[in-house]
Amino acid sequence: MHPLLRWLHRWKPWIGPEGRWRALWPVYEATETFLFTPDDVTSGPPHIRDRLDIKRYMITVLYALVPCILFGIYNAGYQYHRALGDAAPLWRVWWDGLRFVVPIIVTSYAVGGFWEVLFAMVRKHEINEGFLITGILFPLTLPPTIPLWQVAVGISFGVVIGKEIFGGVGYNVLNPALTARAFLYFAYPAQISGDSVWAVVPATGAVDGFTSATALAVARATPAGTDALQHLAQAGHTLRSMAVGLEPGSIGETSVVAVAIGMALLLLTGVGSARIILGGLFGMLTTGAAVNLLAKASPALASAHPAWSVPFYYQLVMGGAFFGIVFMATDPVSAAATNEGKWVYGFLIGFLTVLVRVFNPAYPEGNMLAILFMNVMAPLIDYVVIQAHIRRRRRYLEGFAHG
Amino acid sequence: MTRTNIPDRIELRRGLDVPLAGAPKAELDETAEVGPVAVQPLEAPGVKPRLLVKVGESVLRGSPVVYDKTCPELKFCSPSSGTVRGVELGPRRALLRILIEPDGRDRALALEPMSERSLEHAKAEQIIERLSSTGMWALLRERPFSKIPNPSVRPKAVFVNAMNTAPFQADAAVVAQAYPEEFRAGLWALRRLTDGPVFVCVPDRAVGVFPCPDDPAFHVVRFAGPHPAGNTSVHIHHLAPIRPGEVVWTARAVDLPLIGAVLIRGEYPAKRIVALGGPGVREDAARHYRIRLGSPIAGLTQGRLGAGDFRIIAGDALSGTAISADAYLPMTCSSVTVLFEDRERHLLAWANPFTRGFSWSRTFLSAWRAPRPEAMGTNRHGAVRAMIVTGLYDRFLPMNIRLDFLIRAVLAQDWEEAIALGLLELDPEDVALAAYACPSKLDLVGIVRDGLARLAAEGV
Repeated sequence: MHPLLRWLHRWKPWIGPEGRWRALWPVYEATETFLFTPDDVTSGPPHIRDRLDIKRYMITVLYALVPCILFGIYNAGYQYHRALGDAAPLWRVWWDGLRFVVPIIVTSYAVGGFWEVLFAMVRKHEINEGFLITGILFPLTLPPTIPLWQVAVGISFGVVIGKEIFGGVGYNVLNPALTARAFLYFAYPAQISGDSVWAVVPATGAVDGFTSATALAVARATPAGTDALQHLAQAGHTLRSMAVGLEPGSIGETSVVAVAIGMALLLLTGVGSARIILGGLFGMLTTGAAVNLLAKASPALASAHPAWSVPFYYQLVMGGAFFGIVFMATDPVSAAATNEGKWVYGFLIGFLTVLVRVFNPAYPEGNMLAILFMNVMAPLIDYVVIQAHIRRRRRYLEGFAHG
Repeated sequence: MTRTNIPDRIELRRGLDVPLAGAPKAELDETAEVGPVAVQPLEAPGVKPRLLVKVGESVLRGSPVVYDKTCPELKFCSPSSGTVRGVELGPRRALLRILIEPDGRDRALALEPMSERSLEHAKAEQIIERLSSTGMWALLRERPFSKIPNPSVRPKAVFVNAMNTAPFQADAAVVAQAYPEEFRAGLWALRRLTDGPVFVCVPDRAVGVFPCPDDPAFHVVRFAGPHPAGNTSVHIHHLAPIRPGEVVWTARAVDLPLIGAVLIRGEYPAKRIVALGGPGVREDAARHYRIRLGSPIAGLTQGRLGAGDFRIIAGDALSGTAISADAYLPMTCSSVTVLFEDRERHLLAWANPFTRGFSWSRTFLSAWRAPRPEAMGTNRHGAVRAMIVTGLYDRFLPMNIRLDFLIRAVLAQDWEEAIALGLLELDPEDVALAAYACPSKLDLVGIVRDGLARLAAEGV
């Protein structure tokens, strides 16, 4: 037996079902099975089971998020020093990035983990590894300047209202991380959206304030009659800078390159649904192209709404839609469950994202709302697919004449 | 769309051949006789056994010792001559097993043999009577529900399964070659039981291996593809799916020699062929064995297993039943798979992408190379969770069935929906592979088994 396991087992008499601290059992169980694979054997057929379990499934998503996390940390430091206007050495950029991002992630895991453990203890179920993902996805959708108390409030809402009141991972309707973000988005819009999303106030006081709008906000705010691309370029947003991701924005979502690396891992391992991701990208790009065509067909409208002429592929690099489609829309619990349904679900997320971005006057980014809306619609999509499947089955059975 | 022509080859893609080590070789060996033999009528689904003999009474091989109260024509016979040594009762005083001490002479009760020619023109009633009075009727199954067939109905088709895609089942070719005449007689008997076709479903490579009679009712269909291409539900689904109100009967090719023997041999068969395999079996011992019906399982396993903590499974590792080391060979058991009880714990194994060992999932680097036979144990490899991943089960069932939604309908006890989604087309064994692959470690086999039992009890 592993020495660490032997040490853990020494605590069992106190924490086990007969012990004094049995309320802590879910915590103990989670720690033990986190460290060591369980010794449970199958209780009936099938007598053998595959090595894949939910823990590995979830950890693979976490691995896929690593490029986004690392880039997010670097970018936070980079944006900070850009705001200060100094030329800091690389280690300083990383250090300041860590100073911004790590407390947010720690807060998210600590507060969310508290609720997770509390519910596990009260409901007497195991602690779910799905929280491993929720706890990191949520901070990645926040600007690095978010106050920590808002992180705590947001993740509490996401875990409790988004997930636990439904019964935990596997029973929730909405993606918990997005639920948390949506809550902050509507409760404290000043710190999370609008054109002051990046408002670093350095502690040194060298600069009293610096705001820099995200590309989406800039494109939307282009004055009528001018060129949106030029307006973007003036604000420092080029296609290249947005693809690389050295841009103001939420921690994890700015870099198309980092998200693409994660996407490749999700697709290669089969953990992320290719149907949802490809459907989403296709929906976003075709809708973007349709908006471009509309602008081309009517010069008057195009002049009144310069954002309509932003080339469709900019939809992919601006804002957090790519991140959302790859990591949020693919949450299997809140997504459509049928294969055909996943295409439709993904496509409509892309479609609605662009729709909100282009036509809605209030919100610059539509991806979060599109995914949450489609989370709610997913069972309806599945219902339609399953009814068609039942009809096809009936026809199949009727098609056999012999016998 | 109407299908009148029956294909002779069907290729299936969905499924998985689990690379379990210790596949039984296609060789046949004998086993020594050990200890008393048992008649275990409760193995047959739905049977209410009543005793026909007393303890101390002497019986012949083929003497009926038990009959079924719900269908008195169905009798179960002693597989050896000797004395009734005792009766073991199970819960609610059900007749668990009748033990018979062999007398070593193995005298058989004489039955009137039928010639193969007369079998070709025999009446169904004649065959049903012989199979029922010898207990061989209990080797056949009626779909839906996989129950013992109701002899008063005529099935629209009979399916004979000669495949062994699950790890591990007996190779029907070995059995057919050992008993060619009985095998053919068994096929003829099934032919007389239906006015419809008899589908003989064989592995892709098996061309001309099975001595199939020359009669237009027989259709030999080759099934290519990974497990569960060899499951009877899959065959039925692709050849003659069951519509409401219809029934089909099914038989396993490895049981045909027993059925054929009671018809043409004039006596009750003494032995059957059982495959022994799995990682727990010594490498040189994994093959097919001829063993007396109702023998202690030790007669098969003694001296043939390696060292360690075993689980002995009557049937295959995916859908078989665990039995104890002192159990008796079930009548329908044609293969025994031995696995190690694997309770080893690994530090942070779930986070290690370099884990050696097989997985179907590409989250393991090992899934990117060709699978090698592996000594898999009974470890569950993870804890039970809610149903999280979707669309996965369907990759392991080559039928027009959405297993996610079917399982949910059964759990919600929405029987109308479950039937519309195809519950009646399934047998618990068909979801065993999906359960093997399930990352939430759900008991799909139990869910389908209980769902079918509820439906059968309520009568649809």
